[in-house]
Amino acid sequence: MRCRRIPTRPNCSYVSLAIVSAALFLAPGRGTAQYAGPTIGEPAPEFTLPDTYGTEHALADFRGDWVVLEWLNYECPFVGKHYNSGNMQALQEKYGSRGVKWLAIVSSAPGKQGYHEPDEMNELSEEKGSQAMAVLLDPAGDVGRMYKAQTTPQMIVIDPEGTLLYNGAIDDKPSSRPSSLDGAHNYLAAALDEAMAGRAVSVPTSKPYGCSVKYVN
Amino acid sequence: MTFPLSKTLALGCSAVLLGPASGLAQDAEPGQADATAVADLSPHSKANLLAEVTAVRPGEPFWVGLHVALDSGWHTYWKNPGDSGMPAAIEWNLPEGYQAGDIRWPWPVRIEFPPLVSYGYFDEVMLLVEITPPTDLAPGDTVRLSGRADWLVCMEDCFPAEAPLRLDLPVSVSLDSPDDVIDSRSAQLLSTWRARLAARVPDWRATAGETDAGYFLTLLPVGPEAAHDITGEGVHFFPAGESVLDHASPQDLVQVEDGLGFTLALARSAFSSGAPDVLRGVLVAPDDRRWDEVGEVQALRVEAPLVTRMVTGRSPSQPLADGSSSSTGGGTGGVTDGGAVRGTLARPTLTLPLSILFAFLGGLILNLMPCVFPVLSLKVLGFVESAERGAGEVRRHGIVFGAGVLSSFWVLGGVLVVLRSAGEALGWGFQLQSPLFVGMMAALFLVLALMLLGLSQPGAGLGRLERAIGGRSSYPRSFGSGVLATLVATPCTAPFMGAALGYALLRPAAETMLVFTVLGLGMATPYMILAASPGILARLPRPGPWMGRLKRVLAVPLLGTVAWLAWVFTLQTGAVGLAGLTAGLCLAAAAMWVVGRWGSAVVERPTRQVARIAAAGMALAAVGLLVRASRLVPAGQSTHATPASAVADGSNLAATPTWRPFSAAEVASIAASGRPVFVDFTAAWCLSCQVNERVVLHTEQVRTAFRDAGVTLVRADWTRRDPAITQALAALGRSSVPVYALYPGGEVPPILLPSVLTRDLVIRALATHVISDSRNAPQGG
Repeated sequence: MRCRRIPTRPNCSYVSLAIVSAALFLAPGRGTAQYAGPTIGEPAPEFTLPDTYGTEHALADFRGDWVVLEWLNYECPFVGKHYNSGNMQALQEKYGSRGVKWLAIVSSAPGKQGYHEPDEMNELSEEKGSQAMAVLLDPAGDVGRMYKAQTTPQMIVIDPEGTLLYNGAIDDKPSSRPSSLDGAHNYLAAALDEAMAGRAVSVPTSKPYGCSVKYVN
Repeated sequence: MTFPLSKTLALGCSAVLLGPASGLAQDAEPGQADATAVADLSPHSKANLLAEVTAVRPGEPFWVGLHVALDSGWHTYWKNPGDSGMPAAIEWNLPEGYQAGDIRWPWPVRIEFPPLVSYGYFDEVMLLVEITPPTDLAPGDTVRLSGRADWLVCMEDCFPAEAPLRLDLPVSVSLDSPDDVIDSRSAQLLSTWRARLAARVPDWRATAGETDAGYFLTLLPVGPEAAHDITGEGVHFFPAGESVLDHASPQDLVQVEDGLGFTLALARSAFSSGAPDVLRGVLVAPDDRRWDEVGEVQALRVEAPLVTRMVTGRSPSQPLADGSSSSTGGGTGGVTDGGAVRGTLARPTLTLPLSILFAFLGGLILNLMPCVFPVLSLKVLGFVESAERGAGEVRRHGIVFGAGVLSSFWVLGGVLVVLRSAGEALGWGFQLQSPLFVGMMAALFLVLALMLLGLSQPGAGLGRLERAIGGRSSYPRSFGSGVLATLVATPCTAPFMGAALGYALLRPAAETMLVFTVLGLGMATPYMILAASPGILARLPRPGPWMGRLKRVLAVPLLGTVAWLAWVFTLQTGAVGLAGLTAGLCLAAAAMWVVGRWGSAVVERPTRQVARIAAAGMALAAVGLLVRASRLVPAGQSTHATPASAVADGSNLAATPTWRPFSAAEVASIAASGRPVFVDFTAAWCLSCQVNERVVLHTEQVRTAFRDAGVTLVRADWTRRDPAITQALAALGRSSVPVYALYPGGEVPPILLPSVLTRDLVIRALATHVISDSRNAPQGG
């Protein structure tokens, strides 16, 4: 404020005092609203997680690249539908070859379904033929909660500027039955195809289906 | 890409055989379990199909039930599984001509795995299906109902389960009475489970509305009062749609009054793709309560139409509409349709160009509002005094004054944008919701008034302050007087301003700032024109002794403002707060006198310094008193979440006991029941509100009109910060007071009356929108 230059002028100081005191008075008591999860069209929450080889990955490192986050629990029957049929690996390969950074995140707590020590996880990934760029370990569940990850699978698309474009189910057939893949509309593929072609994502969110994420109690 | 079923089953079964203890399950290799793949299609659960009849009669529908029995601790899911899981499905393979209805689901329980919540059943469940046979059946034949059921069974880990279904029934020999074919045992079992289906009860009416955070669901008893014993306590709403509500969020109960229904506040799902037209689901009462008179219905089937929607549609599928047709909402001053203006709920009522025009007009008119007038009269005096110094300087001062006004509007707009983006629920005049600010303003006005009365001597430090409002000398002072004028203007909302501000604060920051800029320009324009026109200035009277007298006269409205601010402060902080304020004001006055008497340059230096230190000490003590007093709250109120009623109780409401404190839920529920409601959005610091209340709303004539029309009167007091009221204002497309909303009742959107009321206008609005519809008359008051 211009008044600062002439602090001896009472007319300026009282006015600024009044404004500043009003602002200060209003400052405490911030909204206590519950965290509603990440918002489509807003910056995706930043995080850093180690992968199964001990390498740290920060979301911020992937600025300039398209990113897919996949919540993973190999023992979940719904995840099984997509891995045992080869559906998930095909998506990983297709979009991986187009430069999409595909990060699978395991938010299962130690001792719960889907949790594995890094070596076991690598063996499982190899056995399943996973084509994800990395499997990130989130045993405390912090990143899962940050993204409101509810189920495995749950899919997230982030654009090269770090904006969240899609959060939800992988497709529109909430079933663990492999036959449900026939005729399923894949929301993830649609979101990536639209966004990478420079169009708006027509379905930016959908209710994810699958097993609950096995968070720490 | 299909995959052999057996392999999936093998995977599931391997996990079962090796136990749900995940340590073991992790080691399971899919290949190992192949040998046992046939063993268990339905782990931890058994399914069984039964019918209520022993034989099928042509064309007569009958019930069958899929009974799923679960191992202890395991659960399966409701039709909306909640955050995770999957509902059961039945794939029927029925003989030709037979039809199966949808599965009817008994109401579920909440299954919590923090932070997730699912809906489902423990122990057992009966999924009910109505089968309709064709009319042309040959007696003696056997009918085979077959199909396949699959469901998900979970403890924390989940397993898909499935079972083949088969039920053979003979076709009944005709002419038997229907009773003869009833299987009494299974019919009884099925009817027990049918009682656990949610039912409609005509005694209850449900309405819903959209809020910032989600929805509210209001239940109103419309039947006889004794027909139920539901207070709202312990009820839980299970939404039918999966991505409507956030399942894990608590459902806060807002109780209106015993026997008058209740409202639940429900949080929006993070996966919501827009508000539904109808909120559907099941409302389950506590175990010892029932919804109906007979006492049978514990789960109420709810289909609540969404009667109000938020102005700020966040979801990408609901862009904010601002089309050419949207200008009809008009401004508070745009009087149409017998003086009343139709409010639209679903979108901002103005376009950007129109709101800019309204902002300019509002800014112009702001100069005439009672809060600004005394200060601005002084400013004009300043022009008169400086007129003799040459037109160029006057013009420059006019521009600097305008810059001061404009900058303060930018600061106000900026602070509002920043705080709102941080989640604060604030609107125009927000700073007056802070008692400290009100106290400081009272002190400031007292100091100004005392100076006009000549308490300070020329040459004393405070003398500069006097000249600041006179605007005679340096540019910083002209700037400061612009800031001061804006500051004192905030308690007032001029006509046109309400609509413009309401629009501005709901739009992106750039548009908000644009509207604030134009408001400031509007307010500064008359002075800049005055300063730039030597012709007009020349016509003003010449300076002389009359100006000193006029200053003393102008001190009187300033003292009046002090009295008014003290009253506002009392409502905000109580009688003890008032004591603190007056003590602080006395100290400030004393400090001024000390400075005025001994602080001027003509006094010897040591005396002057002592006087100035003493005065500074008193001023500090005064500020300290104000700060302490502003933290107080009136007796009987908590520091936060102040209900509007609390403030209202201290004011003139005692004289008009018919005004009820504001509750969005209550307004919605009364309006939904078809009765008219009038909401007075007001604040003690809002002068136009006070004028409207005294001159119009609280007169006998208007009160009688309200009473005759059966209108429930509600007063939303915004004197202290109240997010609920800010939100209600936002829903009306406003962010300032006064706002007068008349809900004709039913699903008719509220009508907004202008911000400057007349008795005639209110009575005419009632006649047009309420009395003409006799159905809206209350049943017995």
